[in-house]
Amino acid sequence: MLKQIAAVTRINLRSIPQRFWPSLSTVVAVALVVMVLLSFLAMSAGFRQTLASSGAEDVAIALRAGAQAEINSAITRDQVRLLEDAPGIARGPDGKPLVSAELYLIVDGIKRSTGTKANLPLRGIGEAGPALRKGVHVVAGRMFAPGSNEVVVGKSLLAEFSGFGLGRTVKFGTARWTVVGVFEADGSVFESEIWGDLPVVQSLFNRNNTFQTVRMKLDGPGALAALKAYSDHDPRLKLEVKSEKEYFSEQSSQTNDLIQKLGWPLAIAMAFGALAGALNTMYSSVASRAVEIATLRAIGFSGFPAFVGTLAESLVLAGIGGAIGAVATWLVFDGFTASTLGANFAQVVFSFRLTPATIGQGVVLALVVGLVGGLLPAIRAARMPIVKGLQG
Amino acid sequence: MNDSALVRLSGVGKGFVKGRDAISIFEHLDLAIPEGDFVAVMGPSGSGKSTLLNLLGGIDRPDTGAIEIAGTRIDGLSEGRLSRWRAATIGFVFQFYNLMPMLTAAQNVELPLLLTRLGGRERRAHVAAALEVVGLADRAKHYPREMSGGQQQRVAIARAIVSDPKLLLCDEPTGDLDRGSADEILAMLKSLNADLGKTVVMVTHDPAAARYAKRTLHLDKGHFEEKELAA
Amino acid sequence: MNDGVLIAKNLFRKKLRAILMIVSILIAFAIFGVLAAFERAFNAGQEVSEDDRLVVVNKINFTQPLPISYFNRIAAVPGVRQVTYANWFGGYYQDPKNFTIVMAVEPATYLDITASDFAYDGAMRERFERTRTGALVGRQLAAKWGWKVGDRIPISSSIFQQKDGSHSWEVEIVGVFDKNKPQVDTNFMLIRWDYFDETRSFGKDTIGWLILKTDSPAINDRVSETIDKMFENSFYETATDTEKAFNKAFMAQLGNVALIVTLVVGAAFVTILMIVGNTMVMAVRERTREIAVLKTLGFSGARVLRLVLGETLLLALIGGGIGIAIAAAITASMRDSLSTFVPNLEVGPGIVLSAVGLMVALGLATGLVPAWNAFRLKIADGMGRG
Repeated sequence: MLKQIAAVTRINLRSIPQRFWPSLSTVVAVALVVMVLLSFLAMSAGFRQTLASSGAEDVAIALRAGAQAEINSAITRDQVRLLEDAPGIARGPDGKPLVSAELYLIVDGIKRSTGTKANLPLRGIGEAGPALRKGVHVVAGRMFAPGSNEVVVGKSLLAEFSGFGLGRTVKFGTARWTVVGVFEADGSVFESEIWGDLPVVQSLFNRNNTFQTVRMKLDGPGALAALKAYSDHDPRLKLEVKSEKEYFSEQSSQTNDLIQKLGWPLAIAMAFGALAGALNTMYSSVASRAVEIATLRAIGFSGFPAFVGTLAESLVLAGIGGAIGAVATWLVFDGFTASTLGANFAQVVFSFRLTPATIGQGVVLALVVGLVGGLLPAIRAARMPIVKGLQG
Repeated sequence: MNDSALVRLSGVGKGFVKGRDAISIFEHLDLAIPEGDFVAVMGPSGSGKSTLLNLLGGIDRPDTGAIEIAGTRIDGLSEGRLSRWRAATIGFVFQFYNLMPMLTAAQNVELPLLLTRLGGRERRAHVAAALEVVGLADRAKHYPREMSGGQQQRVAIARAIVSDPKLLLCDEPTGDLDRGSADEILAMLKSLNADLGKTVVMVTHDPAAARYAKRTLHLDKGHFEEKELAA
Repeated sequence: MNDGVLIAKNLFRKKLRAILMIVSILIAFAIFGVLAAFERAFNAGQEVSEDDRLVVVNKINFTQPLPISYFNRIAAVPGVRQVTYANWFGGYYQDPKNFTIVMAVEPATYLDITASDFAYDGAMRERFERTRTGALVGRQLAAKWGWKVGDRIPISSSIFQQKDGSHSWEVEIVGVFDKNKPQVDTNFMLIRWDYFDETRSFGKDTIGWLILKTDSPAINDRVSETIDKMFENSFYETATDTEKAFNKAFMAQLGNVALIVTLVVGAAFVTILMIVGNTMVMAVRERTREIAVLKTLGFSGARVLRLVLGETLLLALIGGGIGIAIAAAITASMRDSLSTFVPNLEVGPGIVLSAVGLMVALGLATGLVPAWNAFRLKIADGMGRG
């Protein structure tokens, strides 16, 4: 039986070139379906990765209750002082608590790809600010000097938006700022930000004594719970305290949901279209091999090899399509950067990421199209009456 | 040769190229068929019977010579004019009937009328009349797959005569039929010739079929050899 | 019978094949319809914007405030016919998940300037001007929560808080308004800026943006320049632009929606072009003998060509028609749940028209090769085969 199957499958595969155009149309259709799916999944994975890498487990963030995003939050100086004395907060070598009160503002920049205005985040950070973020290091120039109107910009922001080159002077309102450094931050969302010294940002934007968030380094596993309890029990605080990781994963879920909710239905709809094409191709393959199949049956082959052979042909075509789609997506989109408005109403720069798991999903979709597209024609091939087939 | 001929071939040559060789089917063929004739054309396979029929029907062109049918020189007509001329002048009957499988008998018969200016009602009347002539009025709504070979060929004859052409060209019209059905078809062709005055040219290899014709032409090696039969 | 019957009979002689082709076409057109509706809805702001309306925002960014004093100064600029201002409230109802568009506005002038978009009647206008805690609610939003005129409802802000620490403002609904233009949605609420400003804990005497009408679109540039010059080098510099340009720039921030739509729709259409084109070539090749018979009967090459093109056109129109109908149903079902983010999602006449254009193009493109093959077919060859 195995020999029979191998023989018939070989005949099937060798006959593909005789149906070059229909076979090619199946391959291209499947490839395009896989490309659409993978590009959406890569977009989603890239966006999620950017936000996921932004949040640290051992950093707590405090926001005004109900604010949801940093942009909406407001925290007073008194509340900042209370938090500095809170339990569970790690201290630096100098004995000062590792706390960064921050002001988050939005300023205009020009997006390179479109030349239109875009919302960019300008963050006034405390002394401990950079240390509270993973992998922050200046790759060009230097860190801003405290008390000066200097800023450093994230690497992604520099790549996507114009006007922030090292040494350039930027004007926000009446104030002029000098870009003195470019920093990396582990590919996190912070790479799409502009950072300045908190007191200078407060005074030049007329926001003295207002803060939006407080970031705190935790000193151990139980620290977050202790901090939450502290905030809940003090009527002057009543802030929303969560780990930074939790905060960013909440932020990523919305946009991410949207991308996924768009990507899968589109890909599935297109897969049905490709399926129609695959079915047509395979039915015509069975019809054009009717004489061969009937001849084999007449000399004693059973129907099962005809079934397997047809299915194999369909799977091979879809598999080739899936592979082409995956490679094409990888060539075109892997590492492709884009930006969109995030939950903070400012641009988040992210790169498309094509992971092996994502590629696996694309290939599975391709094979499902091949399997379903080959099944019915394969059944027809197996059941074809010998006499009718021999007549051609 | 007489001047009232419906069909006139003068010096017709036709060949084809196979590989590097030019093969001649006939080199200098002359033929005249008067109006109202019923001619059977016989000959061994490869003698050019079908090519002759194609030339008469204007679906193939001679390499040399002239073909005049019902007063029209057709060897020089453009494809478009040839199509219109064919629709008006020629009725074809094929060995394998060649009906459209997705159309009913009546719709198959109606096909040539789509090329005329007739309105829907007139077309239906013509179709009904043609089906009446071939004795299939009760099968109008049937599809080809629901009919026997003989019935299908009768539908094909109805299709051939529905636009009232002068000349019927039949290519082995009984080649795919049993003796009984074949006799019916041949009798029908004979009556179309005798009663409606259609000129019929029929290619066949069956001597029994040829006996229904007024005369038989034998085509061999590019030449005719005529035998008159007692009608 | 006529050519139409002949075409339809040809198309459906193999029902499974015809249905599979229709399915793949309808999917492509459903994708086109839905994505085009999204793209249009995203750009609706540009379509409804009026040529003589300008928007004034803080030059740093439109989320930065401007002082209320600018209202009077801009009103005095020559060429400014009318001006009003508004402040983003960041509203939600009961739960932060129930995001609600709420704007704090100057009652009289705001209604004047937006009167071409929304139908405010005299009675609600008068009540809004008289009631400090009054609110005007769009028909859609009122329907969503079952609000009626006279209801007092708490509306919360995710940004602002009252001086007493509460995030919730109580307002009284004094009117429910409809729209004047089909492209706009009435999924928002207006409250009074003076009430909001007096009670909020920070940001007093500031506004979010101003909207103004010029005497004529021709002087837009001059008015913009005058305004921006006037506040140059002050603490609050301004950026003045047409409403259209402002909306367009904002939508561009979401990312290149048009490009994504074009790429996906393009991929879908290339797919069906290949599938349907190939299938039709096969279908016509199977019919070689019949085409030869038709030609023998006197059908001209051009007529046969038209029959084949008619078949692919019919196929595209059936598939495309069903696809667009499905797209209309899908967008209609999503419309209400998405109206806060993508207002006025629908498959409008413009989309239908371009879909029909695409159907014709697709029908002709897929029929081209098979029709040409049928056109050129030599009768003698066609009879020989099969």
